[in-house]
Formats: sequence, C-alpha cells, structure tokens
Amino acid sequence: MTQYIVRRFLGLFPTLFVIITISFFIIRVAPGGPFAREKELPPQVLANIEAKYNMDEPLIVQYGVYMYNIIRGDLGPSFRYQDRDVNYYVFNSLPASMFLGLVSLSIALVLGISSGILSALRQNKLADYLSMSVAVIGISVPLFVIGPVLMYFLAIRWQLLPTSGWIGGRNGWAPLIMPAITLAFPYFAYIARLTRASVIEVLRSDYIRTARAKGLRESVVIVKHVLKGALLPVVSYLGPAFAGIVTGSVVVEQIFRVPGLGRFFVQSAFNRDYTLIMGTVIVFSVILIVMNFLVDIVYALLDPRISYK
Amino acid sequence: MSNMPSSPDTQSAPDGATNEFDQPVEGVSLTKDAWRRLKKNHMAMAGLVLVIIYAVLSITAPILPIHSFRHQVSVHRDLPPSFTKTAGELWYERVENRMTLLAERDGRSQLNAEERAELAEIRDRIETERRVIDGEEVLVHQRRYLLGTDHLGRDMFARILYGGQISIAIGLIGTITSVFIGIVLGAIAGYLGGKTDYFIMRFVDVMYGLPYMLVVIILMAIFGRNIFNLFLALSLVSWLVVARVVRGQIMSLKNSEFVEAARSMGASQTRIIFRHLIPNTAGIIIVFATLRIPAFIMQESFLSYLGLGISAPFASWGSLVSEGVNRMTSTPWQLFFPAMAMTLFLFAMNFLGDGLRDAFDPHSKNRL
Repeated sequence: MTQYIVRRFLGLFPTLFVIITISFFIIRVAPGGPFAREKELPPQVLANIEAKYNMDEPLIVQYGVYMYNIIRGDLGPSFRYQDRDVNYYVFNSLPASMFLGLVSLSIALVLGISSGILSALRQNKLADYLSMSVAVIGISVPLFVIGPVLMYFLAIRWQLLPTSGWIGGRNGWAPLIMPAITLAFPYFAYIARLTRASVIEVLRSDYIRTARAKGLRESVVIVKHVLKGALLPVVSYLGPAFAGIVTGSVVVEQIFRVPGLGRFFVQSAFNRDYTLIMGTVIVFSVILIVMNFLVDIVYALLDPRISYK
Repeated sequence: MSNMPSSPDTQSAPDGATNEFDQPVEGVSLTKDAWRRLKKNHMAMAGLVLVIIYAVLSITAPILPIHSFRHQVSVHRDLPPSFTKTAGELWYERVENRMTLLAERDGRSQLNAEERAELAEIRDRIETERRVIDGEEVLVHQRRYLLGTDHLGRDMFARILYGGQISIAIGLIGTITSVFIGIVLGAIAGYLGGKTDYFIMRFVDVMYGLPYMLVVIILMAIFGRNIFNLFLALSLVSWLVVARVVRGQIMSLKNSEFVEAARSMGASQTRIIFRHLIPNTAGIIIVFATLRIPAFIMQESFLSYLGLGISAPFASWGSLVSEGVNRMTSTPWQLFFPAMAMTLFLFAMNFLGDGLRDAFDPHSKNRL
C-alpha cells in the first residue's frame, strides 16, 4: 500500500510538468501579446518593455527561465498589474476560492448522499420523485442562471442576504451562503443521482439478501452493508466534482464578487497577462491533481477489490 | 390463459430458450433488446419524443414562417411577449404610456399638440411602414412576437429556434468528434496492448489531469471566439472517457471465442477491430453520446456567459440565456424563454440517456 501511494505521488510530477509545458506554449504561440494596444507603441519602447520581461529572447530560453523560477516557487511579475507580482495575487486570493470550494463540496456531499439514500429507500414514492426532480433541475440549469435568480429573490426582492462581499466584512458569514449554494447545486444533483442508482443496485445484490436473511435489523443492513458498497462510485466522482467546482468558481466568483482566484482567470486570459494566466492555471492544476491523488488513495483504501500493484 | 407458458408447445421461441424466470426468449440483437426495454420507460420515451420535436424544428427552421433572427427593428426593442397584440400596438402603447407619465409629472392633464402629432405619426407608420427583410417586403409593425423581442428589437422566437440549431449542432459535432477519436485510440490501445497501450493510456492519464474547462477558456480567449475553435477546444479533451471505456471493453473481448474464430479464418487486425470488436461496444457508446450532448451544450453556455461563446448576430441558447440574465429584472422574458428551451432539451436528453443506460445494461438482458 505504501508503495502504491509513493508511486502514485511520484506520478504527479510528470503530469504537472506536462500541464505547465502545454499551457506555456499554447499561451505564447497565440497572436497578440500583453503589450499589444489599440494604439501601437513606438517600436523602440516596445522593445525596451519586452527586454524588461525577457521577451526578446528565444521562446525556449524564456521557457527555461520560467521553469527554473517555478521550481523556486516564483511565478514571476504580472504583465498587467505592475505594482505586485503574481505570487501576491495568487496567494492572496487562493484562500477565498479554496474555502468556497470546500464548503460547496461539503454541502453537495452531505445533501447529495442523504437525499440519494432517501430516494433509493423510498423508490418511486413522493420523497424519491421530489428529490430527483430537484436533482434534474440541478443538472439541466446552468450555474449562471441559478446564481442571479437566487440573488434576485434572496438579496434584492426579500433582502435576506447581502448581494456580494465576503466573510469577515460587516455581514459576518452571510455572504458565503449564496455562492456556496449556487456552486454546490449541480454537484449535489449528480451525487444524489449517483448515490440513488448505486444504493438501488447494491440493495439487489446477494450479500444484502444474506444480511437480511441473518435477521439483521434494517438500519444495520443499510448503514453497515449497503452504504459501504454504494458509496464507492461517489468517492470516484469526487475528483471530477472538484474539477467542476474549481471551474464553476470562475463564474460564481464573478456573479457574487467573491475575492477569489477565479475572477483573475478570464480577465488575465483576455489581457494576455502571460504570467498571471500561467500562475492561475498552475495553482488550479496543483489543487486538482492533489485532489485526484487523495481520491484515488481513499478509493484504494475503501475497495478491497483494487490491487495496489 | 396465463402469461406464463405451461408447456413447451406454447413457447414462441423456436429453440425453446427461456430466461431465468421461464419466460420465452427470442434470439434478438443487443439493440433490439435495448429498444424493447426503452419503450417501457415512459420518461425516456417522453424525452425521445421531445428530442425528435426539437430536431425537426431546428432542421426545418429556414422554411418555417418565422421572423428573421437577425433583423433589428429599433422601435421594437424589449417588447413583451404577446399572442394577441401586434408589435405596432405594443409600441404605440409604450410610447403613449411614457408620454402620459411625462405629462403627469409636468402637471398637465392632457398631452400637448407636439406629443399628439408624434402619436398620430406612429399610428400612420404602423399602418403603412414596409420593410424589406430577407428579400421579402413586410408590414413590419403588423408582426406578432409570440415570445417578445430582445434589446435590439429582434424576434426572440426566431433567436431561440436558431440558437437551438447552433447549440444542438455544437452538442452533436462535439460528441461525434470526441466519440470518433476515443473509439479509434481506445480500440488500438486495447487491442494491440503492450507499448502502444502504455503510451496511449499514459497520455490519456496526463490529459485527464488537465483542468479541462480552464484550458478551453484559455484557448477561446487567446485564439478568438469562432465556431471552429469552439468545436476544437470542446472536443479536445472529452474523448478521454470514450477511449478508456472502449479500451476496457476491447481488452475483455479480444480473447473471446468469436474473435478467435475470426482470426482463425484469416481476418486482418483492422477488420477484427472495426467489424467485430467496436460493434460490441456500441451500447456504451450510444449511452455516452446521449449524455455527452447535454454536457457540451452546458459547456458552450458556460463559455457564452464568460463572453467566449458564439458571437453576434448568431446566437446559441447559452448566449441568449447569458444576455437574458443581465436584464432579468427589466425584461424577464429574455431570460425565461431561452432558459426554458434549453432546460427542457437538457431534461429530455438526460432522461433519454438514463433510459438508454438502463436499457443497454447487460444485467437486464432478456428481461421482459
């Protein structure tokens, strides 16, 4: 098992390396640059600026320099915001994004699993139809519709919650509620459907029949036997779910003006702020890769059928 | 007469095959069997009917008697949906209301001569004004906008219909591309095994670790928003799942008797892969494809919201919805109708996909 973990851990670095390399070259070969303006700069000025950012050297040299800096943990200076470097922006906005993501994932997991189990146990009854209808809405309605609609009713119409801002302000924890619900909704829906389907499947299996035949109480059968088998697909869905939540945060942070990493993402891509895009991509990728790694290990621990070779 | 056969004579299957419930079973193909089970699933069938209706509407859109989706009538901006009133009547009402409001604010009980003259001119224009739209001369103010107009005075119904055409096309083309790449690479990796398999699957693993939508966002932001880039970006990474599934299926099938038989008869490797192995993965691929289409439509709408999707004058459901969201409070129909159209289609596709998954589930083979 330890060997499996170590091997999987070492495997993370090539993936990260490939991601950084691919993004670096995709971003650089594209037409336009961070200093391309509607009004062209005089060639001499442009050359001076490019020299300052090492952009006059061949691409491969720039790549080498960039990689060397990354290994030292330096994401470079921003091309657009000249007062601070990328590390400052990335690590100041990362906590808000991480916190929002983790809260959303927890909401999605707790509500999704419990309503999935409820649906499976009350199959084709009212509770089942109700929670599955909510789940289908979650899958079919985009985030950027759910967010503004929530905002319209809860914040503007009924004035229950603040429209934007973040925790720690004068509104306490209230600004967290709407972004977290919006971001959690689609993943709640997926997890609920997944849980329902796999609980139903496990309920039909032979070992559950055996457990019941032994005369175990229904609650023991459900908690000890059904859930253990039925939650495996949910665990393996956690990786994609987290990836989706990270991506979704790009939109949700824009809607609710959350001071997170996502809001930089699109803007920096439009601005061709090479280092800031790269910094965001790298941080997001590290988070995703580490999450996938943890999920794999949890899965391997839970499922005795998986061999670690 | 009971449904259960009591003696072999009553069985319909000539070879007398039965399933574990002693029900007679005919030798049917996988797809036929799945279709029979799908027909019993009401939600899935409702989904299928809806999908067909959408498909027919999108294909026949150019010959349907609808207004132009790109022609702007500036005085028809933001007209609410109406079945009974013409655009002219709504326009007139709006101008009249605004004038009355202004007059009240100035403390006048009646409109002044200037305002009355303007209203008269509008009445005149409503009766007579003609415009050439798409080569046809029409009395433009006699139009009816069933679903209202957008902020530039374009018919919402036409925009939703044509937007659906683009959204569905994105879903279809993206899915076909990703399924094609996935099948070819997955089949090659699964069948050849060894080093080829190792390299293809390591590549798939690395790509899997990519933050997919973030890459798509970068591609769209940097290479510009056109439909070709959109397809390319969306299908670039989505083939991974197909490749993995197909590879798994093929690995489990490649040592089976029918493949051995084909090989012993001298069939080439390509023939074995494409004629014998891939058709056996059809069920899984059909299911994947139906669930992939709504996912693509959703992703395109996500990009549209960020301003990276389809650009004007063309529209997709995503771009319509994201435009509608910004004007939600003043002109709610601009959000409601496209969102309904899109959601309904995604509902239908999801139900159909779920139904297909159950229908193709090998555990239910030959169950009635």
